[in-house]
Amino acid sequence: MLSAMDRREQAARWAEWMAAAQDGDAAAYGRLLSELLPVVRRMVGRRWPRAEDSEDVVQDVLLTLHSVRHTYDPHRPFLPWLTAIVAHRVADALRRHGRQGGRERALDDVPETFLSVEANTESADAPALRAAVASLPEGQRRAVELVKLKEMSLAEASAASGMTPGALKVAVHRALKSLKAILARDDT
Amino acid sequence: MKTEALIETLAKDAAPVRRLEPPSRRTGWWLLLALPVVAAGAAVDGLRPDLAQCLAEARFVLEQGAALLTGILAAWGALASTVPGTPAWRLALPLVPATVWLASVGEGCWREWLSWGAGGLADKLWTPVCLPEVVATSVVPIAVMVAMARRGAGFHPARTGALAALAAASLASAGLSLSHGNDAAITALVWHLGTVGLLTGLGAVAGRRWLRPAKSP
Repeated sequence: MLSAMDRREQAARWAEWMAAAQDGDAAAYGRLLSELLPVVRRMVGRRWPRAEDSEDVVQDVLLTLHSVRHTYDPHRPFLPWLTAIVAHRVADALRRHGRQGGRERALDDVPETFLSVEANTESADAPALRAAVASLPEGQRRAVELVKLKEMSLAEASAASGMTPGALKVAVHRALKSLKAILARDDT
Repeated sequence: MKTEALIETLAKDAAPVRRLEPPSRRTGWWLLLALPVVAAGAAVDGLRPDLAQCLAEARFVLEQGAALLTGILAAWGALASTVPGTPAWRLALPLVPATVWLASVGEGCWREWLSWGAGGLADKLWTPVCLPEVVATSVVPIAVMVAMARRGAGFHPARTGALAALAAASLASAGLSLSHGNDAAITALVWHLGTVGLLTGLGAVAGRRWLRPAKSP
């Protein structure tokens, strides 16, 4: 357990390292992130209910910290700045999780779909699906990858691909239609 | 990717960054640009002939001072809202002068209603309509504020957008009061404060689009 003085010294050290990182000091930045990692894990752990993917949120926090590191003012305390980033990223993840939760169903509740083992083996279909996706035209393939596989929102996928949200919707729709046709053809 | 490997990658990518100036200094820069724009907006119609008399009235000074202070505090709030860790209560500070402004104008409306009745208020309401002028004078300051706010972390885009619009519209309203001759409180309530409220709401909506949350790279 750190004493109040140790905590003050620690926060002052982090502020100093962050200021150095803003000036391009990679070593100071590496030291800072390494020291922050257990702190961020603890902060995320307190706010994020699912231990199995909390490391994803921790990584998201570190990536955000990196992208907004220019907003830190070395004359201001470091911890409130860090805490705000953690709180924002966890809230964001909770919102995303809530949205996905509405569309997903826990597989444990479904005992078995078919009698044969092969039918329940995800990997059996994977190569065929991968090949089908790969055979799609470039625009459709990109749209499916971003919107369906990477689960980006239309706005995010639009920013990543340069396609308009409308064009993305059309491309995804056509891609799914093509995939259905390709997979049905392969089955027969 | 393991988190330790991610840290190594980020540390290697630690290029020097241009540090964001404190919100107070950035507010100063913004005012340097916004105030001349507002002054130009007021100058288009020319200063009202009874300006000296108005400036001697406590109510006029209180209302326009509150509008000006609302604008300055909202500008600070808009920029501070893009700095992680700024306490939310500090972003709410513009509500204090805004409440004084609203209360003073509201009390004026109450007195006008008592002396003129509903019909008298309706007559005053439609002359003049200040909405287009407040909007036109606010456009450039809002655009500059958005450009400045986008340099920060867009964690609260709606809040930042609302504060940016509140800042520009409050200054515009205060500036235009120096040229508009209609003293009716109902006009100030509907066409000045109403426009400020409308722009603040639109700013919150537009902020979600133009001040997107910071994304992980």
